[in-house]
Amino acid sequence: MDPTTSMYVAQGIHGIAYGMVLFLIASGLTIIFGMMGILNLAHAAIFMLSGYFCYQIIAMTGSFWLGLVLAPIGTGIFGIFLERVFMRSIRASGHLGELILTLGLSMVILGLVKVFWGTQSLPMQVPEIIQGMVNLGGLEYPIYRLFIIGMSLVVLVLMVLLLYKTRLGKIVRAAVSDRDMVNALGINIPVVFMLVFGVGCWLAGIAGVAIAPILTVFPGLADQVGMDAFIVVVTGGFGSLAGAFVVSIIFGLLSSYGIQFLSQLAPVLMVIFMAIVLAIRPNGLFGVKE
Amino acid sequence: MMKKTIKPILWLALLVILIFFPKLFGVYYTNVFVTFAIFATYAVAVNVLLGYTGLLSFGHAMFFGAGGYGTALALKHIDGLALMPAIGIGFLAAMLLALVLAPLVTRVSGTAFAMIHLAFGQLFYILALKLRHITGGEDGIGNFPIPAFTIPGLISIPLKGDPVNFYYLAIVIMGLSLWLMWFFTKTPFGQIQVGIRDNEKRIDYLGYKIPQTKAIIYVVSGAFSGLAGCIYGLFHNLVSADGSLGAMISFSPIIAAMVGGVGSFFGPIWGTAVFQVIEELTHRFTDRVELVMGVILILVVMFAPSGITGAVNTMKMKWHAYTASKAKMEKTS
Repeated sequence: MDPTTSMYVAQGIHGIAYGMVLFLIASGLTIIFGMMGILNLAHAAIFMLSGYFCYQIIAMTGSFWLGLVLAPIGTGIFGIFLERVFMRSIRASGHLGELILTLGLSMVILGLVKVFWGTQSLPMQVPEIIQGMVNLGGLEYPIYRLFIIGMSLVVLVLMVLLLYKTRLGKIVRAAVSDRDMVNALGINIPVVFMLVFGVGCWLAGIAGVAIAPILTVFPGLADQVGMDAFIVVVTGGFGSLAGAFVVSIIFGLLSSYGIQFLSQLAPVLMVIFMAIVLAIRPNGLFGVKE
Repeated sequence: MMKKTIKPILWLALLVILIFFPKLFGVYYTNVFVTFAIFATYAVAVNVLLGYTGLLSFGHAMFFGAGGYGTALALKHIDGLALMPAIGIGFLAAMLLALVLAPLVTRVSGTAFAMIHLAFGQLFYILALKLRHITGGEDGIGNFPIPAFTIPGLISIPLKGDPVNFYYLAIVIMGLSLWLMWFFTKTPFGQIQVGIRDNEKRIDYLGYKIPQTKAIIYVVSGAFSGLAGCIYGLFHNLVSADGSLGAMISFSPIIAAMVGGVGSFFGPIWGTAVFQVIEELTHRFTDRVELVMGVILILVVMFAPSGITGAVNTMKMKWHAYTASKAKMEKTS
């Protein structure tokens, strides 16, 4: 490949890798929103927290793989704890209360992270096998990003199987479309909520660990990547997994090619895209009217 | 009867305290009070949207910043610009921004409305950081000239480096804005916005155009937020991305409104006062203001969802019920 094509291809794969990470965060957000009507503003902070968990596990045990498995699980358990202690008790006070509660939670998590780990960037080393470059028909490409794409695809397939092939998935999908009816059918909705919230946080946790070696771990991570994930959910349509997936990939590509051509204004492109989509379809690309 | 005589006396007392405030409390607390007045006006402007119309915006900092940047840029680039036109430019800049955004944002409500504002707020924050040649990047625009307040042929009061004179200017402008917004919520049009909050469909059936009605309120809220931001910029003689457009600038009026009581006009002012006191105290012991604010938010949402004014009202009602039942008891016995 000549240098120009290889540059385009490299940026394209970069974009897909970032899009997959965005999708891991946004999928949790959008399922939680679809089921409970809560837009969890603490999701970005939870995503960042997972990076710190992984850093801590690596610092204690020295194994990246252990961190990759345990940090998201720890994040999921933390999410379940948040749901049980905070979300459940204020369900009655409406959207406004929930938004502000999750905003408060996110501020507290950020504040505590700064207390425990400080504000500096913490670097993270990946093991030898997924370090270095691989040759893709003349293009030298970092293995780690391919590893992210592969891992995200595995998680994605698992999620699709869980949602569309199991009884639990059926219940979740039914609850997204009509929560009260499912509750009336005798299914314990609060427990399903708790599980979904945990799984959503687990997905964000995987994304947090995946992105940590590239961007390092720092408190600004929540704002930087989390904001993109929120925009994805709004643009894709609240509660729509397909929308989240499509928009995540578009945003990943927009951001990687945007940095290539308009390095100053890459973040602006996403907001412009969102504005155009919402001007035409106020409920998002795949959103249904409430 | 008591209330009718006491109220004017209380207002008069407040006026006297405000006039002699710099003499009574010194320069430091005068400056604290100016900050309080600015953020109280800003919180009320946000609450006109949040409490009265039920639209939560996570990005009002963009209006606050538009006001600040508008005035600062005008004063920096236009030689000999007088003070009032400069403030007017800041006000109009925020109003213009609200007018441009209104057609897009008034079509959605609830969570989508909040998130679009989060995104746009972040967009303006990034733009202010990246467009270095216009906004000065992270350093912002500082040390721009602040003209004296003049009425041609009558008086000229210097403001730069004179906190007491600036205090009077800020108090008058903020007081006037508060009065205008209060007046606005009392008009028939202002009552419609409460109707939109409570039952949008019904107002629609009554023949009001919902998006357009929302747009007008949105512009009012944005413009007064801009005015607060403009005075804030003049007060510090600096507008910067973090100081005027940061996420905390968007969140703090919401927190103030929540703490004070959403839906009551004076609630956000009480909230800002509490907020200011807490910030003063926490700054003395720790720099983790964010953590403290987060904990306060969680506590308020979980235990006092209607804020201070709500809690006071409940207590009042309980007290009335208590005295009424006591009177009844005495009668029967």
